[in-house]
Amino acid sequence: METPENNSGYESAEKIILRWDSTASEEGRERMIFGTDRQEADVYLQAVDEIQRTLFSASISDCSHNVDADDQSKVNTTIQIAMARLEDEFRNILIIHTSALEIDSLFDSSTSFSSSTPTHHELEDDEDCISDDSGSSRNNLLQLHHCESSDSSTYRTSSSIREVDLMPAEAICDLQAIAMRMIAAGYLRECIQVYGSVRKSSVDSSFRKLGIEKLSIGDVQKLQWEALEGKIRHWIRAARVCVRILFASEKKLCEQIFDCVGTDIDDACFMETVKGPAIQLFNFAEAISISRRSPEKLFKILDLHDALMELLPDIEAVFDSKSSDSIRVQAAEILSRLAEAARGILSEFENAVLREPSRVPVPGGTIHPLTRYVMNYISLISDYKQTLIDLIMLKPSTGSRYSGDPSTPDMEFTELEGKTPLALHLIWIIVVLQFNLDGKSKHYRDVSLAHLFMMNNVHYIVQKVKGSPELREMTGDNCLRKLTGKFRQAATSYQRATWVSVLYCLRDEGLHVSGSFSSGVSKTVLRERFKTFNAMFEEVHRTQSMWLIPDGQLREELRISISEKLLPAYRSFLGRFRSHIESGKHPENYIKYSAEDLETAVLDFFEGYPAS
Amino acid sequence: MDTQEQELEDIELFQKHVSDRFTELSSPPEDDALLSVSWLHSLLDVFLCCEAEFEAILIMDRDPSQLSKPPFDRLIPEFIERAVKALDICNAVANGVDSVRHCQKLSEIVISALDQNPLGDGHAKRAKKACLMLLSAMNLDDKEGTHVKATERSWSFGRRGVNKEQIAGHFRSLSWQVAKNWSSAKQIQSMIYNLVAPRGAEASGLPSPIYTMNVIMIFVMWALVAAIPCQERNGLPTHFPVPKQLNWAHSLIGLQEKIADEWKKKEKKGMSGLLDELQKMEKLAQSLIDFTDSFHFPGDAEKVKEAAANVSELKEIFGRMDQGLTPLQMHIREVFHRIVRSRTEFLDVLEKGSAPVL
Repeated sequence: METPENNSGYESAEKIILRWDSTASEEGRERMIFGTDRQEADVYLQAVDEIQRTLFSASISDCSHNVDADDQSKVNTTIQIAMARLEDEFRNILIIHTSALEIDSLFDSSTSFSSSTPTHHELEDDEDCISDDSGSSRNNLLQLHHCESSDSSTYRTSSSIREVDLMPAEAICDLQAIAMRMIAAGYLRECIQVYGSVRKSSVDSSFRKLGIEKLSIGDVQKLQWEALEGKIRHWIRAARVCVRILFASEKKLCEQIFDCVGTDIDDACFMETVKGPAIQLFNFAEAISISRRSPEKLFKILDLHDALMELLPDIEAVFDSKSSDSIRVQAAEILSRLAEAARGILSEFENAVLREPSRVPVPGGTIHPLTRYVMNYISLISDYKQTLIDLIMLKPSTGSRYSGDPSTPDMEFTELEGKTPLALHLIWIIVVLQFNLDGKSKHYRDVSLAHLFMMNNVHYIVQKVKGSPELREMTGDNCLRKLTGKFRQAATSYQRATWVSVLYCLRDEGLHVSGSFSSGVSKTVLRERFKTFNAMFEEVHRTQSMWLIPDGQLREELRISISEKLLPAYRSFLGRFRSHIESGKHPENYIKYSAEDLETAVLDFFEGYPAS
Repeated sequence: MDTQEQELEDIELFQKHVSDRFTELSSPPEDDALLSVSWLHSLLDVFLCCEAEFEAILIMDRDPSQLSKPPFDRLIPEFIERAVKALDICNAVANGVDSVRHCQKLSEIVISALDQNPLGDGHAKRAKKACLMLLSAMNLDDKEGTHVKATERSWSFGRRGVNKEQIAGHFRSLSWQVAKNWSSAKQIQSMIYNLVAPRGAEASGLPSPIYTMNVIMIFVMWALVAAIPCQERNGLPTHFPVPKQLNWAHSLIGLQEKIADEWKKKEKKGMSGLLDELQKMEKLAQSLIDFTDSFHFPGDAEKVKEAAANVSELKEIFGRMDQGLTPLQMHIREVFHRIVRSRTEFLDVLEKGSAPVL
């Protein structure tokens, strides 16, 4: 059996090891073995192998009492010196070849393979911004942005992981060679420690370059939502780079270096490197998923949900070992919370629409800000149809039967068979909106204005539904029919309310004195009639010019409808009875207007003129 | 019996349970020393049980509008705010457990180095190096996780090709995952802020269990921070403004004072965390360093025996950490989820009881 003493191979190996002992020799400290000279490195590794062999054979023949304990201790010492050196070399190689990823190029490439061209779908509140008394300092009239990719299908593009070579092949070879020796000598844990500490700080610095912030949950809750929207957008892009490129590349590096020694080890190294940063990354998304629910948050939350959903297969691919369970689990938890948040927000939104309490009537009977807001909102919801259809699984809870509760509307669900829960929610929202508007209309003192108000608003709803193919398809023709019927009905009610009494002045009965026909017209009554008519018309003209029908076509139609009833009646009245007035004193006091005058005056109606 | 009486009974029962549970925590069985990993598990269980009862009393079968009136319009939002702070602590502590695990792994090196027969010089050197790293890791400066004691002794190489900054940077193996200026001590402080025991009529109504739950939540978070290293624990409050007359609070206050005493003792020496296993590990590492420092093969038989005993103890601690740390993180996560859920429930209650804002 070879004892250390009589093995020259061992001796020379030992010499080499001792020469490079940095705690003992100056020379050992000054240079690196693995750096310049390939030969030096090979020689050293061979020396290590030689010592290992000796140790191994010595331990096998331990039971043969030939081995001197002293010698064994010497060999152990030599090994320890070698391992300490190799550890330093390992660290050094890692440090030298650690360069931060070119982050900017990564961003570009990542956005390109998710094929999103930033389109900016901005729904603003055009037209007059008439504030109501709910007067929250937050702008009621949201500008709902649908940035970055309005085409929700971009979030469903197939994922692609792109590993980048983090180190040159030669360095990896060296690291492999060192790792093998360290592990063979039982120094696995030191190896992992060193690896983890160097790579982790590299990942940390990449994170900084990617601009991934360390925000606490408390911080996130305090920030304004608008600021958070920007951060979410940024996070989505950064997360893609992290998972698909950064983490994946680290994983690959681990696999390359520890390839020969088994998957458990490269898993351990990978997790050592990446666990902290991964958790930090997801903590932000988690903080968003638990933020207080309010309607304006819906769409960004859906964006985040979709992005995370799309990223999930990659997360599962990269974090596939048992030791990374917690990360996969956290990602799934966040996803599910985001879905819950979306559902909760939708539900809250419906309740808020139902109970929106402002009582001050909108001047001029025009479109209520609530109507605009709600219709904009649900148009946007229909844009997000693809995601929401999967998320919204239950139909709306209120109004599912005739509840007899006067504060909630009822909804007929029978004719809505076969509709998705999402569609039911949209229909419900429209029902609830109308119900609320109905209540608001009752605050107008003038009943005509109340009808006009309803007409305007329901018409607006119809226009919005027609304007969005998705929305229209989901709410269905029946719904549209009902709405159309409703606003036409309101128009009719308006006309009746205003004009019946005006036209009443132009009626035949009561004008004729009993008995003779042609000259039996009571001049007094006739004069009264004219006076009343004039006064009423003037009043209507004065008031209703200040009213507003924003939709040009509707405005025209209603005016025409009024003219069609008013003008012939007036002309006929004039025709039949003007002579009686003109034969008396001051006819101009009674016949103030020609039919043409009236025709012109009608053009003023619903123009929304300011009070003069 | 009418609902009011029932409610009073429920509250009393709840507070009795609280008292019982904390009494149990105060006298743990031998293996589960105060602030050990398994004791922390028990603490978290106590939290979950109390929280469940608390939610049942406050929310179940209750008209939400009740909780929107004074004083609940103040108490509930305050509770919710504290809950958010607790969430951040959960995250920080879970992160801190990773640094404990780091110590566990270093101790594994020590064990494997010294668990040899016969023990050689090489083994001792290896063990010493690892012990130094271990002590260094445990005496982490809470700020930003940098090592206070440079472990330059434990490795050395020339400067060629590597600059000092790189060296320094790569020692920061565990930077905290929390925001830069976040301080666990300040967080606890702000949770304690404004904590006022209900007085008079309020003391016998719902405000009372709310106060109780607040105190429990603060205590649990505080104990976690005291035990597990996490960012910036300097200035961790050691006094809770909880009136001693409160029956249910006796055990809790006793426990708190005991832990606070330990904290004050350790604070002066610069500290790793009161986690029982870490404390024990620190002592063992220290004596093993002394041993390895003076060791020359074959070494003094007595000392070797003593060292072996230490290694054996270290093994045991390693075992407990190995078994208990990951479950501890999962347990903290469970607490995290529960607090989130509880907060959501209370937010819902507030929302239902108030006017909507669109």
